[in-house]
Amino acid sequence: MTTIPQPVIAQTALRKSPDAVDPVYRQIRDLVYKVSGIYKAEEKLYLLADGCARRMKQLNVRTPREYWDHLTAAPARDAELRELLNEVTIGETCLFRSQPQLDALRKVILPELVTEKTKQITKRLRIWSAGCSTGEESYTLAMSMLEESDRLLKGWTIEILATDLNDRSVETAKAGVYGDYALRNTSDLYKRKYFSTVDEKKLLVRPEVKKLITFSRLNLQDDSKMLFMKGMDLIFCCNVLIYFDGISKSKVISHFYSNLSFGGYFFLGTSESLMKLNEQFHLVHFPGTIAYWKPSLSSGKL
Amino acid sequence: MTTSLTATIRDRVQRIETMPGIPAVFLPLLKLLSHSVEEVKLDEVVRLVSYDGTIAAQCLCVAGSPLFGLAQPPKSIKAAVISLGLRRVETILLTCCLGQAFPAKKWALDPAVFWRHSLGCALVCRKFSERLAAADTEKAYMAGLLHDIGFMVNCLAFSQDFALAMERASQEGIPLDEAERATMGFTHCETGQALAEKWKLADDIVEVIAHHHAIEHSQKAQPLVALVHLSDLLCRMRGLGYGYYERHKVDLIADPAWAILLKQHRDLEAMDLVLFTFELDEAVEEIHALVATVFGSAPALART
Repeated sequence: MTTIPQPVIAQTALRKSPDAVDPVYRQIRDLVYKVSGIYKAEEKLYLLADGCARRMKQLNVRTPREYWDHLTAAPARDAELRELLNEVTIGETCLFRSQPQLDALRKVILPELVTEKTKQITKRLRIWSAGCSTGEESYTLAMSMLEESDRLLKGWTIEILATDLNDRSVETAKAGVYGDYALRNTSDLYKRKYFSTVDEKKLLVRPEVKKLITFSRLNLQDDSKMLFMKGMDLIFCCNVLIYFDGISKSKVISHFYSNLSFGGYFFLGTSESLMKLNEQFHLVHFPGTIAYWKPSLSSGKL
Repeated sequence: MTTSLTATIRDRVQRIETMPGIPAVFLPLLKLLSHSVEEVKLDEVVRLVSYDGTIAAQCLCVAGSPLFGLAQPPKSIKAAVISLGLRRVETILLTCCLGQAFPAKKWALDPAVFWRHSLGCALVCRKFSERLAAADTEKAYMAGLLHDIGFMVNCLAFSQDFALAMERASQEGIPLDEAERATMGFTHCETGQALAEKWKLADDIVEVIAHHHAIEHSQKAQPLVALVHLSDLLCRMRGLGYGYYERHKVDLIADPAWAILLKQHRDLEAMDLVLFTFELDEAVEEIHALVATVFGSAPALART
C-alpha cells in the first residue's frame, strides 16, 4: 500500500439525500464491490461520488455515465479501477479506526484465545498487521494489548508483526509520529498515556508501545516469504486485498489461513468482504463487525 | 419447565386483559390476517382501520418510508393497497398497532430498543426470504415482528423478575434468553407462546414465538422458525439487539438453522452473507428513524 495522501473531504449535495444520487453511482458501487469486495453503503455513496468526481476531473470527463465507460471499457479499465479504489479508501487510515473491531478483540476474542491457549507452555500471542501502511493500525493494536496487560494478558508475551510492501510507509510507521488527522479517534487519555509531544501539532508513540512491534517490508505475493509467517493468532489486513486480482487474492488468503494457528481470527477492513473466495474460513459476526475464523481443534468445526 | 410454572404463566397472561396501548382494532385485524390473502377483503380491512385514525395515519406514514417501498406516503389506505398490495399493507397495519403498545411507565427493556429489534427483525426476515424462492415474504415479516412478544408479557406480568434477568444479561454480556432461564426459570418464548395462543395466532407464528431459540422443538414450521432465528441473531450483531453488548461470536452458516433452511432452499448457498449484512446496515438508520417518528410519537395511553 502506498503512503496515504491527506484527504480532501468534499462537501457534496449528495450527503443527505440518497434520491439525488445519480443511479450510475450505484452501478459503480456494485462494480467496486464485485472487483474489490469494498462496499460503500447508501449513506456513504457521497464518498464514492466524491472519489469519482476527483477522477473525472483528472480525466476531463464530464458525466458519471461517461466515467462509467472508462471503468468498464478496455484497455484502461483495470488501471482506472485501481485509481478509483485509491480515491475511495483515501483518508480512512487513522488510529482507533474501528471501535467495533477493537471491542470484539478485547471483549470476545482475547478472553477466548487466552482460555484456549492457557494449556500451552508459553503464554504468547502473535499478531500480524499485514499491509500496515504507515503504522496506525499496528500501534492501535499494541495500545489495545497494553490496556489488557495488567488483566487478561498478565504474564503474556505480545508480538506484533507489521509489514508493508512500501519501504517509505514502513519507515514512516517505524517513526511513529502522528498529527491531528491520524489521531482524530484517539482519546486524550490514550494520547497522554502512550504518546509524547514532538511539537504542538505532532505526537510521538512511546517506546513501550513501539517495542511490541517489529516493522518490516514484505510482499504478500511472495510465496516463499509467506510460508514463514507461521503461528499467528490474529491477522489484520485492511483495504489491502482490494488491489489484488481474484487469483492473487485467493492465494494470499490461503496463505493467511495457513499462517493462522487453529482458533485464530482474520480481519479485513470494516466495509470489506472476502466474498466467496475461501471456503475454509468461517465467517463470524461480533457486535458491529465481522471476522473470519479458523476453527480451533476443540470446536469440532474443522 | 414444571407444570405449575406453565400454569402460572398462563394465569398471568390471562389476566392481561389487553396489552396497554394496543388499539382496539388490533385483535380483529390479527384475525383477518390469519386468513389466507384470497379470503381477506380490502373493504373489511379499510373498514376496520377507519375506526382508528391514528393507526390509519401511521400506516400511511410507514408506507412512505423507504423501507416499505414507496417514495411518498400514499393518500389513503386504498391507495396504499393499490401500490403495495393488500398483504403488505396488512403487515404495516400490524406493525403500527403493535407500535402503539408503548407503556406509560418505563419497562425493563427499553420499548424503543424492543421495537427497533422487532421491526429490524421483521425487515431482515422479509429481505432474507426474498432471496429464497417460494418463501412467503409477508409471513416472514409478520413472524419477525412478533417473535419476541414474550418480552412484552415479561415486562407487564413478570416485571421484577425480568428486570433482574435484563440486568444480568447486560452485566455478563450473555444472550437474554440465557439470563431469563437462569434467573426466572423460563423465557420470553414460553410467555410469548401463552399470549400467542390466547390471541389465537396462526400455528406457524406460535411456533416461531415458542421455538426461535430452540429450533429443534419446532414440529410444523421449522424453515420459518429457522429463518427468524437467523435474522434475530443477525439483528443482534448489527446494532439492532437489546441495547447491550453481547459477548459472543455468531457463526450463522454453522448454525443448525442454516442447514434446516438450506435443505428447503438450495438458493441459500449462493447468498453473499457479508453483502447482505452491509445492506442491512443501510437500513439500520432508517429503522431508528421510523421507530422514533412513528412509534416514539405514539401516545402511551392505557386502553384496557
